Amino acid sequence: MVREELFNDIRKAIVEGDKPRAQELAREAIGLGADLNEVIDKGYVPGIQTVGELWEKGEYFLPELISSAECMKAAMDILQPEMAKANIKSRSLGKVVIGTVEGDIHDIGKNLVASMLQANGFEVFDLGADVKLERFIEKAEVEKADIICLSALLTTTMLNQKRFIEMLRQKGHYGKYKVLVGGAPATRKWAEDIGAQGFAENAALAVKAAKAAMAK
Amino acid sequence: MNRTIFDLIKKRAVLFDGGLGTELMRYGLPLGTCPETWNVERPDIVQRIHASYFEAGSDVVSTNSFGGNGIKLAAHGLEGRVRELNSAAARVARRAAPAGKFVAGSMGPTGKFLQPQGEFTESEFEEAYGEQAGALAEGGVDLLIIETQYDLKEALAALRGAGRAAPSLPVFVTLTFNKFPRGYFTLMGNTVALSVEALEREGTRAVGANCTLNSEDMVGLVRAFREATKLPVIAQANAGKPALSGDGQVSYSQGLEDYVRFVPEMLKAGANVIGGCCGTDPAYIRRMAEFIKK
Repeated sequence: MVREELFNDIRKAIVEGDKPRAQELAREAIGLGADLNEVIDKGYVPGIQTVGELWEKGEYFLPELISSAECMKAAMDILQPEMAKANIKSRSLGKVVIGTVEGDIHDIGKNLVASMLQANGFEVFDLGADVKLERFIEKAEVEKADIICLSALLTTTMLNQKRFIEMLRQKGHYGKYKVLVGGAPATRKWAEDIGAQGFAENAALAVKAAKAAMAK
Repeated sequence: MNRTIFDLIKKRAVLFDGGLGTELMRYGLPLGTCPETWNVERPDIVQRIHASYFEAGSDVVSTNSFGGNGIKLAAHGLEGRVRELNSAAARVARRAAPAGKFVAGSMGPTGKFLQPQGEFTESEFEEAYGEQAGALAEGGVDLLIIETQYDLKEALAALRGAGRAAPSLPVFVTLTFNKFPRGYFTLMGNTVALSVEALEREGTRAVGANCTLNSEDMVGLVRAFREATKLPVIAQANAGKPALSGDGQVSYSQGLEDYVRFVPEMLKAGANVIGGCCGTDPAYIRRMAEFIKK
């Protein structure tokens, strides 16, 4: 079936990090008059999910992850305006505000998580690094976010993840947003101890955690 | 200095120091402060930490310059102070070093990516590492150690930069690896074999690994390095992963006894130079010195 072949080709292009092909297939899908949400859900998203699995297995590394995420972005840059023109609402899995907490400038992992979340269909607002805790809340309020992701690499700055949850409680916002924590020192126990709704060890697992958080 | 570090390596295993960041935090380095600034603002504390490692038995200490290259310092707005902070780092360590002991100029990663993943070129990295190496040389280090590298391309650029700026100093390179079912790989997917080959060709005088892994996982990595090279092999493992209790107390998952338990194995596997990374302190070094003496 033509459509199955298209979805397979798209998935392959993403897994192989073949940007020109991913773009070509996006244009082809538009030309065929295909359901663009379906093209994303059955072609592009499974592609980036496979990349995440290969990363978890230790077969794909950072360069592969980044180049596949870029393929994804390039394809979306073609599909989304087309969908907007036709008044098709692109399905967003949820809105995420992400950043590295104040006092911490590490951002490689956080950037990867933001990329992967975006590639997997979330609307992501990346606040950068060394972000004041209040800013996370402000942005989440303005954008009506669903999830707040906090990254911290140092044991000292990790404490800010705990302080953030306390801040949410003080403002009466606890439970309004799903808070996910990450960064090398974060553990499931830490997330539970501080009252976060989830944690993830790497970018691929972060996508799973974000999807699980949305399902609750 | 009559005897070089290589003379010492020929005779016995050589002992580096333990974690510096961990110690600085213990001595009160405020959250968010650039550690390198303490080389000029609190040199007394930095010197005391170096001295405590020499007293514990270290043959070499690494300077407080891990984040001292211009690209990394730019995150703190301090890129204009590369020369000042790095030469100060070297001088402080030199002041702490007893006669016959060594000072290694520490050069950690830029934290940025090379093109196409990021925006930087290899020559920009070369320049940044070169500037840092020159300042460390000026301050009086005996050797340079390019460490915690997760991108072979960056490590090679650093090696070239250091070689150009400080041609009389030997350069050591350690990468940081993750352990996967398939084997040891850096974040960028570099393997031990390919990394060693490239680094040797570029003129490194010793190779190895530091950080990420605890001492148990480091043993297998040492073996892989030993199989790949005749150069001296360096291993500086973490004391496991940091954990934070609810009241803000930090502890590392690999305690002292558990950590040192694997030191004889690391030496047997072929490590010539050992030390400690995150979570280790003078107590770890004291125990490691006992093993080396035996």
